[in-house]
Amino acid sequence: MKRILVVDDEESIRLLYKEELEEEGFVVEVARDGLEALEQLPLFKPDLITLDIKMPGLNGIETLKRIRETERQLPIVMCSAYGEYKQDLTTWASDAYVVKCADLTELKTTIRRLLGLL
Amino acid sequence: MSDHPNGYDLLKTTIELSVSSFPIETKLEKIFQCITNGFQSDRSLLLRPEMILKEGFLSRVIEEKKPLWVDEERPFKEDTILPEERDLVCPAFGCIPLSDENSIQGIIYIGFSKGRTFSSNETELLLLLAKEIGVTIRNDQLHRGADDDERRVRQLSTLWELNKALLTTVNFERIVHMTLTAITIGNGLGFNRAMLFLVDEKGHVVKGTMAVGPNSAEEAGTIWPALSQRSRNLSELVTQIESSTENHSVLNSIVKEIQIPLEDGQCIISKTVLEGRPFNIRFPLGEEEWVQTRCERGCHLSSEVGCYVGEHLSRDPKVYAFATVPLWGKGKVIGVILVDNLFNQDTITDEDIRYLTMFASQAGLAIENTLLYRNLEEIHQELKEAQTFLVHREKMAALGELSTSIAHEIRNPLVSIGGFARRLDRALPADASEKRYTRTIVKEVERVENILSNVLTYTKEEAICLKMLDLREVIEESLSMISEGLRNGGIQLMKSFSDQIPPVKGDYYQLKQAFFNLVSNAYESMRGEGKLSIRIHPYKKNGVSWVGVEVEDTGGGIDPEALHHIFNPFYTTKDNRLGLGLPIIHKIVTSHQGQIEVNNHPGTGATFILTFPAQEVREK
Repeated sequence: MKRILVVDDEESIRLLYKEELEEEGFVVEVARDGLEALEQLPLFKPDLITLDIKMPGLNGIETLKRIRETERQLPIVMCSAYGEYKQDLTTWASDAYVVKCADLTELKTTIRRLLGLL
Repeated sequence: MSDHPNGYDLLKTTIELSVSSFPIETKLEKIFQCITNGFQSDRSLLLRPEMILKEGFLSRVIEEKKPLWVDEERPFKEDTILPEERDLVCPAFGCIPLSDENSIQGIIYIGFSKGRTFSSNETELLLLLAKEIGVTIRNDQLHRGADDDERRVRQLSTLWELNKALLTTVNFERIVHMTLTAITIGNGLGFNRAMLFLVDEKGHVVKGTMAVGPNSAEEAGTIWPALSQRSRNLSELVTQIESSTENHSVLNSIVKEIQIPLEDGQCIISKTVLEGRPFNIRFPLGEEEWVQTRCERGCHLSSEVGCYVGEHLSRDPKVYAFATVPLWGKGKVIGVILVDNLFNQDTITDEDIRYLTMFASQAGLAIENTLLYRNLEEIHQELKEAQTFLVHREKMAALGELSTSIAHEIRNPLVSIGGFARRLDRALPADASEKRYTRTIVKEVERVENILSNVLTYTKEEAICLKMLDLREVIEESLSMISEGLRNGGIQLMKSFSDQIPPVKGDYYQLKQAFFNLVSNAYESMRGEGKLSIRIHPYKKNGVSWVGVEVEDTGGGIDPEALHHIFNPFYTTKDNRLGLGLPIIHKIVTSHQGQIEVNNHPGTGATFILTFPAQEVREK
């Protein structure tokens, strides 16, 4: 069972992602912002992280940097309403970038690809 | 001397004739007949001033202002008789000078072939008669002057009326039509037909601008009287004609096609411009005169105006008179007015030409003013467009900022709404009636998401990431983005991609977006039924390689009225869609140095043709 950590400041998004991904057979944990994500990291030991960018406190880009300080191999999917950061150097360290969309197909495909499940 | 002339009768008749309505020549003829008869003389007549030669005895009579009587008692003593005067010298004659302070009217002469003596009664009677004749002649001169004045006043008031009409508008077409109407209208200048030619801006050609005139003599007979009856005032009449009759005459369309190079040549039109003077081409009397007016150019004018004979003589060119006057603007000839009397064959007099020239000088200024005004209007229009464009740019910039922030705020809730609606949809049993609701939510959220990405693409100057792209792949990707709702219908997709497609340098995401918009528009236009053909092929134009992408649908085409607006942002024929689809395509294509064209077949479908410059492929 692969474990996924969903980091998003919006409760409804966290709920949606959790339910959808659990339905796909993943074990899902959620974090409200970057700091919470960093706390969860050693406890939950996820196989993949979905990371929102615009969050209060520690934003996605800062969080990405902090995670990469220790976790070089952990797959991280940036997940944002903004498309602008897609080709941006600020997210180069992530493994994928998905623009938020009600249709989660793209997200799910990306996750499976990164986890080698395709 | 048997019977003396009846002085009373003679005077009475003379006075009666003097006040009669006969022309002056007839009056004088009858008066002198009476005098000749009354005096039983051989002849009596008026020697006009031009017949009185210097240094002759007649001139002395005028100088002395005294009558000369020659009879048996008073012999002729003059020694200076000019040969021309010899005929007047006879046994008895009288010469009475007619003159006043200002002018000489002549000499009254009465001659007898037999000797006689003038009685004092007779000389007095003749003096009285002479006085009366003098009055008659003077009256006639005054009368004639008054007639001339009256005619001039009438002409001037007509001109004034016409000019008044010209002042009612600055519209070019109207002014020109009114000018020509004024020239042809019966109580205006009264020519049968009038044509206007204007020198083009660069001054190289004279162009036919408008012609007014009936197509036939019958038509000429019906139009003007009918119009003249409708209104009293000439300026009203001219304005009325302009607004009531469309100028679709055959002559007008012929004249509009005429273009005459402005160079020294035989053409009467260019001659009028270059020499700046009127030409009155009268009826040719013989072959010789034809040669003067004939032109070998054979333009359309030659078939209308008799400025051409030569080899087409058999075609019977209309032989008639016409005249041209230059149209003066400020300090230069801006055109030519050509008039003729094709139908009533009236001679064009020099007076007509003078009159027309006077009118043309006014009309010329009016026409020049409208031309200037028209230029001004054009420039004004351009300025207005530029301003609109600027305002639009600013609006778009403001919209960009606003919409980017709003779009992002909206995206998150949309993800939840759409995402949960999908979950609900999946949770419902396949036959649940509520599935309709969940599907609607899913579909509508998808639409809003599309609008959002369109707004973001249009307003944001996205950093373009240029790569070598294979357009076939980009289009396949766009096609895969088309939602299933649109794809699963009775729409047949025909793909025809060439094997060898050179790469195109471009931004993958932008091009994907452009093709996605294009293809989904095509799908939507067909409403579930039809044929969508997508073709990609390389081609060369002017030695440059291009890749062409054609998207052809059978969705009924674009409303021709809307065709000019389809690339304008926010213009849409589908009222529930934000009209950014095509403007975005346009923006993306042009930012890739590409071109977009539409082949529209209203009622059938439309083909969008996108072309992109191809990149050189290095041979391995």
